[in-house]
Amino acid sequence: MTTIRSFMTDDHRRCDDFFADAEQAIGKNNMAAARAAFEHFQSAVLAHFECEEKTLFPTFEAKTGMSMGPTQVMRMEHQQMRDLLGDARNAIESGDIDDYLGLAETLLIMMQQHNMKEENILYPMCDQHLSAELPAVLERLEMELRDE
Amino acid sequence: MQALLSFENAPPFAAPLRFFLTAPLFAILAGLLLAWNGPPLMASRWMPGALAATHLVTVGFMLQVMLGALIQILPVVAGANLRHPLRVARIVHVGLSAGGVLLAAGFLIDPPGMLGFAALLLGGTLLYFLAVCVQALVGVPSTSPTIRGLKLALIGLAAVVGLGMLMAFALTYGWSVPLSALADLHAGWGLGGWAGVLLVAMAYVVVPMFQLTPGYPARPSWWFPVAMLLLLLLWSGGVLGNLDGLVRLSQGLAAIAGIAFCVVTLRLQGQRRRARADATYRYWQLGLVASVFALLMLLISSLWPAASELEGWTIGFGILIVAGGFMPFITGMLYKISAFLSWLHLQNFGQAKIPAPAMNKILSDTDCQRQMVAYVVALALLLAAVIVPDWLARPAGLAFALANAWLFWNLAGAVRRYRRAQAEMAEKLAAL
Repeated sequence: MTTIRSFMTDDHRRCDDFFADAEQAIGKNNMAAARAAFEHFQSAVLAHFECEEKTLFPTFEAKTGMSMGPTQVMRMEHQQMRDLLGDARNAIESGDIDDYLGLAETLLIMMQQHNMKEENILYPMCDQHLSAELPAVLERLEMELRDE
Repeated sequence: MQALLSFENAPPFAAPLRFFLTAPLFAILAGLLLAWNGPPLMASRWMPGALAATHLVTVGFMLQVMLGALIQILPVVAGANLRHPLRVARIVHVGLSAGGVLLAAGFLIDPPGMLGFAALLLGGTLLYFLAVCVQALVGVPSTSPTIRGLKLALIGLAAVVGLGMLMAFALTYGWSVPLSALADLHAGWGLGGWAGVLLVAMAYVVVPMFQLTPGYPARPSWWFPVAMLLLLLLWSGGVLGNLDGLVRLSQGLAAIAGIAFCVVTLRLQGQRRRARADATYRYWQLGLVASVFALLMLLISSLWPAASELEGWTIGFGILIVAGGFMPFITGMLYKISAFLSWLHLQNFGQAKIPAPAMNKILSDTDCQRQMVAYVVALALLLAAVIVPDWLARPAGLAFALANAWLFWNLAGAVRRYRRAQAEMAEKLAAL
């Protein structure tokens, strides 16, 4: 059965794949491919943030009344990652490989520890509290991620 | 759940950092002890110097980093929030460091009562740490193999500490206990039940996520920690009932389980999607390969007990599993976590107004890789010293001390750059 946890976790892995593509391309010194892969990565991550902030988190907050709780921390971490994404994009566009690799490493770890909290803690909470709304929420998330 | 509530609950950098900076100092001491004591230290695992050096590394280095890292990551991986993390860190760090030094001194110079006192201090400190963890973990559901592994590893910690205390008191008060069998069991619980299960639980997370490899197979991941604990219980039963066959069977099966984990991890790493081999990845590879060899030795001696009577067998096994296996895993992760935490705390400090320097500006991979070369040389010398102790024991000890001094230098450099960056950011924030 698809759950919020399995669906959103799959999307995390999809973002990871784009991240890896960009790094692989840099490893092969193919800057054009690296830029293209980074663009995919950035838009996939931003779309993921967006569907959480516009759909998943508000639904969770409305249902549980926890608006200053875990979702707030996740929003703050999204902002930190948006900043890193922006810096990494500047680095890759100006061809500063060393800077890019450093920022990408930082971003990867930030992203993974964030994912870990969502996958192990927040998504299971969502599945638990939103069991009645599950099909509708999943459908909206799916639609929003497809439209990215 | 509370762990996610706010950043204020996240442990301050000072909480884990004190453990990370102290650990290399203990490894330096162990190396210097070997350099000073020389070949006799490597003659037998029962030599006072060997016991002291072993515990300087296992308690002073391994346990030190493991506990510091746990204080940091329990909220992240398990959503388990420690109350007052800085206070917990202070108490545990002081107890563990003082206990580690006293324990080594107790083995080495054996003043009356010191061993028992060191055991009490370490036992009390770890009991406190366990109580704090249990309090944080109560009510946290095991939603991932990592969380389950963490919980089970704490049982392993309780067992290794309990057995260690029992032996220390037995030595102090002259109780009659089967010391040799208990020492094996103590090492089994420490390296298998505690350090091994903790490492495996962490590997489930760090290998796929940071190396971008496929995930570990789900069912075996859930069962590995449980199986390891059951095997150690079986082993304990064998020691209690004086059943040598049962002891050897559980040792052999534990060795096979460990080898299986290492082989699976090596295969996963073979499919990793990261383009560059950084120091953390290389340290893991070293640790995995050395662990496979060490565990093969354990398997052989469980099938053919006479092997462990061979000269240098047990010391060689100990060096392979601890200095070849665990220390590289730990050092590799230590580099990554120190650089990331520096960045994270700077990032929060900058309040999203001033950007923080990226991780590679705090700790460069080149520095870490150079230190790793020194460590590999030290490890090779240590292993060679098992065969020709007269020639190599002292140089190996010196090399081991130097490699760990370099580790300390790298980590201290990261902290220095962290402090400098923080001061610069404070100026910029004030000017806004």
